[in-house]
Amino acid sequence: MLEFVKILSILILLSAFVLMGNKRINSYIETFRAQSLLIALMAGINGIIMLKTEGRFDLLAVCVLILVLKVIYIPGLLHRTYAHVKYEVEKDFILNIPILISVCSALVVFTYFCLRTLSSIIPNSIILQLVNSVSVIWIGLFFMISRKKAIGQIIGFLVIENGLFVTTMLGTEGMPFIVDLGLFIDLITAILIMGILVFRINDQFDSIDTDQLNKLKG
Amino acid sequence: MNNVIYILVQIVVILAVAPLVNGINRKVKALSQKRKGAPPWQMYFDLYKLLKKNAVVSDVSSWIFKAAPYIVFATALAGALLVPVSSKLAGSQIPGDFILLIYTLVLGRFFMMAAALDTGSTFGGMGSSREAMISSLIEPSILVSLFTLGLIARSFSLPEIMMSVQNNGIPLSNPVYIMVFLAMVIVLIAETCRIPVDDPSTHLELTMIHEAMILEYSGRHLAFMEYGAAVKQLIFMTLLVNIFLPTDQLINFSGLLAVLLSLILYVIKIIIVAIVIAMIEIKTVKLKLFSIPNLAALAFILAFIGVLQYFILGGGYA
Amino acid sequence: MGFILPIIPVITVLLLFLTRKSFLQHIINLLASGLLVIGALLLTYKVVNEGSIRYGFLGGIFYVDALSVIVLDIVIIIGLVTSIYSVGYLQEEIRQEKIRPGQIKRYYLLMYSFIFTMVMALTVNNLGLMWIAIEATTLASAFLVGFDNNKYALEAAWKYVIICSVGIAIAFLGIILFYLSARGVLSESAALDWVALYENAKSLQSPVLRLAFIFILVGFGTKAGLAPMHTWLPDAHSQAPSPISALLSGVLLNSAMYGIIRALTIVNCNLENNIFTGRVLLAIGILSILTAAIFIMTQRDYKRLLAYSSIEHMGIIAVAMGVFTPLAVFGGLLHMINHSLTKSMLFLSAGNILQKFNTMQISKIKGVLKILPFSGTAFLLGLFAIAGTPPFSIFSSEINIIVALFSGGSIWIGVVLVLLLAVVFAGIVASLFRMFYGEREQETLQPGEINKVGTGAIVVLLIAITLGGLFMPSYVIELIYQAQGLILGI
Repeated sequence: MLEFVKILSILILLSAFVLMGNKRINSYIETFRAQSLLIALMAGINGIIMLKTEGRFDLLAVCVLILVLKVIYIPGLLHRTYAHVKYEVEKDFILNIPILISVCSALVVFTYFCLRTLSSIIPNSIILQLVNSVSVIWIGLFFMISRKKAIGQIIGFLVIENGLFVTTMLGTEGMPFIVDLGLFIDLITAILIMGILVFRINDQFDSIDTDQLNKLKG
Repeated sequence: MNNVIYILVQIVVILAVAPLVNGINRKVKALSQKRKGAPPWQMYFDLYKLLKKNAVVSDVSSWIFKAAPYIVFATALAGALLVPVSSKLAGSQIPGDFILLIYTLVLGRFFMMAAALDTGSTFGGMGSSREAMISSLIEPSILVSLFTLGLIARSFSLPEIMMSVQNNGIPLSNPVYIMVFLAMVIVLIAETCRIPVDDPSTHLELTMIHEAMILEYSGRHLAFMEYGAAVKQLIFMTLLVNIFLPTDQLINFSGLLAVLLSLILYVIKIIIVAIVIAMIEIKTVKLKLFSIPNLAALAFILAFIGVLQYFILGGGYA
Repeated sequence: MGFILPIIPVITVLLLFLTRKSFLQHIINLLASGLLVIGALLLTYKVVNEGSIRYGFLGGIFYVDALSVIVLDIVIIIGLVTSIYSVGYLQEEIRQEKIRPGQIKRYYLLMYSFIFTMVMALTVNNLGLMWIAIEATTLASAFLVGFDNNKYALEAAWKYVIICSVGIAIAFLGIILFYLSARGVLSESAALDWVALYENAKSLQSPVLRLAFIFILVGFGTKAGLAPMHTWLPDAHSQAPSPISALLSGVLLNSAMYGIIRALTIVNCNLENNIFTGRVLLAIGILSILTAAIFIMTQRDYKRLLAYSSIEHMGIIAVAMGVFTPLAVFGGLLHMINHSLTKSMLFLSAGNILQKFNTMQISKIKGVLKILPFSGTAFLLGLFAIAGTPPFSIFSSEINIIVALFSGGSIWIGVVLVLLLAVVFAGIVASLFRMFYGEREQETLQPGEINKVGTGAIVVLLIAITLGGLFMPSYVIELIYQAQGLILGI
């Protein structure tokens, strides 16, 4: 069971790399969906373990929430948003993909060296999970920097949230349920607000390219 | 004595199975297109026919053009000796490790590219430059993957790597092996000129890579070139099946029967992998040349994550 | 009383949903902010006399002590002033046909959600919930920043949402590490509990805590506008409607700073000194002041200039918390109060100027003192106050911090700070003072105030900051002493 969680954690990291290698906005959204599905699986497995050992349903409820929100609702919402503002396929990234991916692998190494200092305190198995999930956060951050379209930046933010969620789940064996719930409410509001802003930016600028947001300087 | 048997079995099995893989591949593709297709053993007849014929050699070419087919075939066969088809036979010490394997194959590739340039035709030059690009992109992934396996086994020799994997339970339940396995699949596809990277059945100049290089060859020379390519393809498949899908640990006795049984299992695994690769070729479209670096980057990342996970756990998988 | 405070904005939001007439909405707004002030004052009285209060219901998630009461009072007082000002501001916007009457409802709805999230952030006991509330402040205020719905406002809103959400996500990583540092020390439900963490601070894992502090500083520092994570701040503050700028600058930044101070307290208590946190905070604080000074020197837009001045003052508070002597902490907390009052007054009077002149360019404005006698004067005096000249309250808190720096051994940092403050002063004088005098070019502008009630509120604030520089009411000092004791762990 634990071996399976390890594999999932690596696959989640891999999905972040795949996201970095994607070129089209539709495939960003699908990759994000796949990543969320992996996370939901992970929450499900941990939830079953928790149910057996402590008799609590927290993580299983979280698993259902992820399935509903991150696997079904948010990707659908993003697809709809994109369908409304779509113009044509344009080059969306600032550097070419192999370079972006090399930077990402450097980020993973960096995370590893940062977290290795904690190896005397935290067991090795948790460090492994932390390296994977914290790397997902940094890769999400770098994804936001590397893409110019507003939707790409939203996806980057979602990936950061995914990384945070996995870090929470693995590093701490689950936060109090109320915190998880609050996280989800914040997340869904954030996505709705960003979606509405994308619409308005599209109305005003006739594009969702954030390079055009350069009026305010100094 | 042991070594002689090993070499004999190795050469016989590899030479016998290599054309079959291509045949199966073509048959599956033909069936997917609702064609009847040639029988899987068609390539044996082709090779036999080509070997009987004389080669036509261009007047402007040098000795490299004539020597290259033999060198390609010889290096492929020499490489094949380093990858045991059955670990039941590999008890004897084989000198050489996977680094030797990789660079033996690179030697053959070098001569193939040099020969393609030799005749001065445009296709040959184009094929060579593309081949050089792909091989330089794929090579880091092969090395990192194999080094990861070597680190886990604490040895660079392929038989020992195979033995250590067999003793460690099911390899594909281990995250490190999964990553390296996926990297190796991409390497296999790129190295054997399969569809997302190259199309072996095309003669369209825009997309040819491997075919462009051997375009000038005919007769005997062509037979050796194609045989060499088939052997090389089988080497990578053997690496894949014998490292990641080991079956020899199931046979808990030794002797002639064990060797035979393990060889039969080996052939079955190779056939399955050949069918799976044909399926991948059916399902995917060929990437444009400038997207191949992205695929190579993916392979590298897989291998890299594998080695990183190994280091994070401090060699905990050994 | 503490649990009433979050309920009032919720009821207000519900009532606003039901009303249609803008007159009623204005009334609800004024009543709600008045009630909030009464509640906050009663709560303050109770905390001053009885110390920290913990409420038992809902699993004990509500908790108030002197530190949170200080920030809470700032939130609610600035909230009152802003809501009084907003009435006149919105009427004027409608008169100038910049907004439709229907938008008033949306404005108040968002404003009270914003206040609600800030009150929540300051009254919860759980670090995770505090994080959620601070993230919610971004979301509640995003559409307030983009309220004008033109290209500039949308750009500011987009940057604000994206940068702050990401920053705050990094803070969450810090909170997870806090949780990790309490492994084996605290039970699972108590591991994010601020009181429990504070009481067991000495037995937490120091290396994890150090890492956690860095992440929390970067995360909440983004919201507090500390350089180099400040880039959203000038855009958002300059493009938001002026009362909202006042709320953002006077209140939101402090709420984020409150998060940093909470984490700082635990980390310093665990490490038993302030060497680590002091270095980080001094560096980031001085960097913020330096950045602000450079941009103030070359600024052409008066609302942006005020925004950069906010960055500068947040930097000063960070420096004060970095020094961590009793005098410095006292000065820092006092500075928080003084800066909020002064800066919101400045933004409100800048709002009057903006509505009158319809431009944010300094070079296009002349003769403010003639055209807007009251708010112009308040703006001028406020600029003196924010630059740190003597009769005003900011001077007294700045001098506390500088004395603490010199007496605490950080002489060079003190020298740098004084020099940078001088540069900021020169920058403000050089860029802004040409607005006040000179002949007005636009003959169409009639002299006279536009937002009379709002101007009254500005004048009250001006009196408050002037008196605050001369003497301090004893209960304010008592409150700050209590908070200082909490922070220093005495």
